Amino acid sequence: MKELLRTEGITKYFGGFRALHNVSINVDEREVALIIGPNGSGKTTLINVISGTLKADSGKVFFKGADITNQEPNLLYHCGIVRTFQTPQPLKELTVLENLLIGAINPGESPWKALIYRSWLKKEEELVERAIKILDFLKLSHLVNRKAGELSGGQMKLVEIGRALMTRPKLIIMDEPIAGVAPGLAHEIFSHILVLKTRGISFLIIEHRLDIVLSYIDRLYVMFNGEIITEGRGEQGIKKVLEDPKVVEIYIGE
Amino acid sequence: MMDILQLILLWFGIYYIVAVSLNMEFGYAGIPNFGKALSVLVGAISVGGILNRLLIWYFGVKGDLIEGSTFAIARMNEIIAAHPLAGIFLLLIAILLAMVVGFVVGMIFILPSAKLKADYLGVTLLAISEAIFLVCVYNLSIIGGYYGISTPDILAFAPGEKRGWIFAGIVLVFAFLSFLFMEKLLNTPYGRVLKAMRENEDVVKCFGRDIMKLRMRTMAIGSAIGAIAGVLYSFYTGNIVANSFTRVEWTFFPFLMILLGGKGNNKGVALGVLAYVIVIVFLDIYKYDIKEIFHIPFEPVWLTYILFGITMLLILYYKPTGLIPERPVKTPPVKRIMED
Ligand SMILES: Nc1ncnc2c1ncn2[C@@H]1O[C@H](COP(=O)(O)OP(=O)(O)OP(=O)(O)O)[C@@H](O)[C@H]1O
Ligand SMILES: [Mg+2]
Repeated sequence: MKELLRTEGITKYFGGFRALHNVSINVDEREVALIIGPNGSGKTTLINVISGTLKADSGKVFFKGADITNQEPNLLYHCGIVRTFQTPQPLKELTVLENLLIGAINPGESPWKALIYRSWLKKEEELVERAIKILDFLKLSHLVNRKAGELSGGQMKLVEIGRALMTRPKLIIMDEPIAGVAPGLAHEIFSHILVLKTRGISFLIIEHRLDIVLSYIDRLYVMFNGEIITEGRGEQGIKKVLEDPKVVEIYIGE
Repeated sequence: MMDILQLILLWFGIYYIVAVSLNMEFGYAGIPNFGKALSVLVGAISVGGILNRLLIWYFGVKGDLIEGSTFAIARMNEIIAAHPLAGIFLLLIAILLAMVVGFVVGMIFILPSAKLKADYLGVTLLAISEAIFLVCVYNLSIIGGYYGISTPDILAFAPGEKRGWIFAGIVLVFAFLSFLFMEKLLNTPYGRVLKAMRENEDVVKCFGRDIMKLRMRTMAIGSAIGAIAGVLYSFYTGNIVANSFTRVEWTFFPFLMILLGGKGNNKGVALGVLAYVIVIVFLDIYKYDIKEIFHIPFEPVWLTYILFGITMLLILYYKPTGLIPERPVKTPPVKRIMED
């Protein structure tokens, strides 16, 4: 399989505190990779570094073979990397529909083109149609015109996912996408992820709810104290990781 | 009474142009442009500092800016008196000029704040605007400073009693055009992404938008429109005094108007401007009576400030959305979904 994302020895300090130490991971094309680990082990910090929200102190990030270390997030989006946030980041005063529409770029966002209807209307029609389909799928249709700030935490989480699905990127990074989502819908979301995978999208996901996600993933990383302590690939590999005494200890220790 | 109505219409028009452009910058894009007054000053500079110099050069009169202007303008006014179209032409030239200068100034104005978050942004813009204001007040060679400089009389052809009404009409036309322009410009994906930037810059950045580019373009357009108000005001007074482009009148008042009317809503802003202008005009006319009646022991001008300060607090506390709350950006497909 072809490599899509690779990190090499990422290290990140917050003042004197070492949040990440020598973290190296891989995500291949058409692969769903999962990162687990106890609270505070550095999972979110890692994807913040990958997505350009935080700068690494050392180490490198490669995407499709190109060095993208510490690039600005807006440039990474254009490379094909999209992310969701662990704490939902709704655009509060905007409607749910508008929140999704921000997930894709329309040429009419340039003020010069905005004045000429036909330069953006067709794209707008397309995007609205796509947004409506996604909201249908996420069972949020009834909230389409509601302000995002008025939603419940679980609904905001879904809006996060919806926004990430508005384009067809190469890699979607999700930070605890189904926290607070009902199991039925959570399974539907992961089934959809499998469909998107066949269309050529890879996923890097952080999630605690192993019971739900385990059957959907191709690769598993376990983080502890800012380090990857073990990893596995394929059904057998993942099983071995979960039986690893270190992993068992961490999870029972919790 | 008719005079009062005329004053209200005139000030409504001028302030609406400032407020609606500030609404794009602040109400939509969330840029706390505490230096709004600068764009109005740019309009005045375009008339007093640039147009006047062009006239001096054109008529070949002698003397420095202040002296030369007086002669050049006398010549210009004769021409306008004979050919009304020349007055209109001069107005349009001045507005075009001011928009170009305003556009460039707005774009440069925001540059030093490239890396700043909203809180520091406002203070930086205020500081830059104040610095330029002070330079214009004390350096007489720009627009005559505190000494003042006269402007061409674009209505030199009109009889005295009609002038006020014609001018109010012109101002209202430009205010209405500004409204139409903003509605057209902002009910688009551009308007939506500005609001998204106001709500959360990080999200907008993670979804591929260049924040600095959005800020620069917005400030450029906002300043270009704001400069129109500066031109109209300069022609209206007939005499530009740099001291009159204060932050209180041209930044804080417009902010209050927006907050009162409804930020992010161009119609709401009109209501906010109207309400304020009515209060300002009546306060100005009756300030001495009020001082007498209520035995106010200080200058009545402070009354305006105190009143507006209190109103601001009340709005922010009790009705943060303003009189008319903002509405989602309505592109044709979004409108269809909202009506379903
Ligand atoms: N901006 C920051 N400044 C200082 N410390 C931080 C910052 N962000 C995270 N940390 C610290 O870094 C460590 C790792 O945090 P991180 O959010 O990456 O953990 P996590 O694995 O995502 O945990 P959780 O499962 O709770 O989301 C924690 O100890 C956290 O307190
Ligand atoms: Mg986390």
